[in-house]
Amino acid sequence: MTRKISQPPINPGTRPTEQRDFWTGGVLTIVGLLVLIAGLRHLTGVETLDGSSAWETQLVKAFSTGGLRYAEATAAVLPTLPDNPADAVATLDRARKSSTERPHAIGRVRVDLGASTPCPT
Amino acid sequence: MNGQSDDKSSGVGLSGLGTKPLSRIRPWFQAAFLAVWLAPVGRWLHGIPGCVFHCYSCPLSSFACPVGVAANYAALWPAAHEVPYILIGVILITGAVGGSLVCGWACPFGFLQDFLSKINRRKLQIPSWTGHLRYVMLIGLVLALPLFFGARGVPFEEQPVSVCRLCPAGALESGLPHSLQSIAQGGPWLMGWQKIVLLTVFLGAAVVIHRPWCRLLCPLGGLLALFNRFSLFHLRFRAEKCVECNLCRSRCSMGVKVDQQLNAPNCIRCLECVKCGAIEAAFALPAEKQDSYTSAQKP
Repeated sequence: MTRKISQPPINPGTRPTEQRDFWTGGVLTIVGLLVLIAGLRHLTGVETLDGSSAWETQLVKAFSTGGLRYAEATAAVLPTLPDNPADAVATLDRARKSSTERPHAIGRVRVDLGASTPCPT
Repeated sequence: MNGQSDDKSSGVGLSGLGTKPLSRIRPWFQAAFLAVWLAPVGRWLHGIPGCVFHCYSCPLSSFACPVGVAANYAALWPAAHEVPYILIGVILITGAVGGSLVCGWACPFGFLQDFLSKINRRKLQIPSWTGHLRYVMLIGLVLALPLFFGARGVPFEEQPVSVCRLCPAGALESGLPHSLQSIAQGGPWLMGWQKIVLLTVFLGAAVVIHRPWCRLLCPLGGLLALFNRFSLFHLRFRAEKCVECNLCRSRCSMGVKVDQQLNAPNCIRCLECVKCGAIEAAFALPAEKQDSYTSAQKP
């Protein structure tokens, strides 16, 4: 149900002209089509659990099925300790300090193709 | 639908649309599209982002939610520098062909808001500048925040704040059915109270504001609306037919000053304004470019 709303009078002469060109939309459509086809044929750099590369469609599906598996980053390798015990203690202190300052990293991500858990968010 | 327009402007005028009661046809189109987004037979399409706002965790969803996919890619970027080619392709095609046409005719969440707005309550008018919040959502909540947490090693599903955690569509289409399913199987209620509050606020807002999510917060609608200026499908103004009746403005539920600016970023292309006759839906074709207004002014 519409209701007339009182408005100032319309003056068509003050309207901006609406020029519409085919080629902007047309070219973008073609570009979108090409990008879409490329995406459907795109093998991502993310591996599946069995070691093969995941297709982009498999990666997208993993988002909604809880199919991303994260491996924690490996701990820092202990540095080579000098013979002098005092220097060794200082080296260990520096290594421990740098590992606590480094945030917990996701590490490697893999796709579980068999996941079917709805996204918990 | 009519064929050629008579002023030789580029494109095909769809002037026949102006004589049909679009307010009666559009809900049928929206309901028909529900069969596309909610088709359980299409679960294998979950690997492809859709072009409308619909939660991919909905038990019946066919395509993946493009907003959720974008946020997941942003969260994943620090660990795996992957580019969402399919998502970009879908957005480009949808926007370049129709702009925000899918918002007005295909989006299930928009359909729900249209349905709720039919409840007879006085509707609040909100200023058009609030539409810019959609871009804050898009850049901040969909892209930057997941990237921020992802860089700190937090997987998207575990991020404390995310677009999916705040999404009313997710609450309605996923949280609610999964919680009911869990209860039916003797399990606990799954949806948190925060989402229940969000959903309640949204449903209440949809009664007193027409399409509050679309007008204020939808990042997908905001992105598609940017294509309105050059999409193939567009609206055009026939100055010679304008009788200054203000019907176009009164029929627009999105607050667009249709007489001043067609193809605005906050237009959902519901085509209700086409009823006035001076506004015409058109589809650009490769033809000689000619301004529709100046051509109408020529003797």
